[in-house]
Amino acid sequence: MKNTVNVNEWVALFREIGLDQAQMEKWHKVFEARHPSAHQGFLEWLGLKPEEIDRIRSKSK
Amino acid sequence: MNTYSISKLARTCGLSRSTMLYYDRIGLLRPSGRTSAGYRLYTEEHRQRLERIRHFREAGLTLAEIRAVLVSGGKPGAKLLEKRMQETAESIVGLKNQQRMLAAMLRHAASGKLPASVDKKLWVEMLRAAGMNQAAMHRWHSEFERRASEGHNEFLLSLGIPADEVARIRRLSRGTS
Repeated sequence: MKNTVNVNEWVALFREIGLDQAQMEKWHKVFEARHPSAHQGFLEWLGLKPEEIDRIRSKSK
Repeated sequence: MNTYSISKLARTCGLSRSTMLYYDRIGLLRPSGRTSAGYRLYTEEHRQRLERIRHFREAGLTLAEIRAVLVSGGKPGAKLLEKRMQETAESIVGLKNQQRMLAAMLRHAASGKLPASVDKKLWVEMLRAAGMNQAAMHRWHSEFERRASEGHNEFLLSLGIPADEVARIRRLSRGTS
């Protein structure tokens, strides 16, 4: 059984419980504003490529 | 013919205007002429010469050495060396990108866990910020448990939650549909 959750599963999980795109974007914005380095670490943990992380973080600023 | 003002040429080559003025003063890069209003005019040939100067600078040559190289023109072998230097510069850029990518992958592979700063408190704070209340968080745990029970387990442990509490949370997650 696999232990890690990839980014698609992660997003699906939040959608399942009713979080929409706008709420997820807000989540990234708050994460970036309050805990920028933790935001980076979390996205790395999800296995995103550096360019993708840069893109998400700059969009969240 | 394409002409450049001093500012435009500086911008194109990523140099400052004052550097260009200095290169003019020491005779390294003289404009071909002036406009009627007295502004320096440069051509495409100047741009190419300036690019070469920039590469030589990056490779560590002094301005005096660069002048000597430019004056000597096409001495046998010099063209080849310059071409190799250009290729080396491109390799450096490529390798730097690779290094950045590998560092990120290594960080991920080595830890396989969240940075210490991402703990339970921060995670709950973030979920609340996204508009999730207690009930929504409960649903989140239930879904996580149902879809990927091992992933759920691993994530909770990564947040620094003690094993017995993790077990309790997972039991509760399974308790409801």
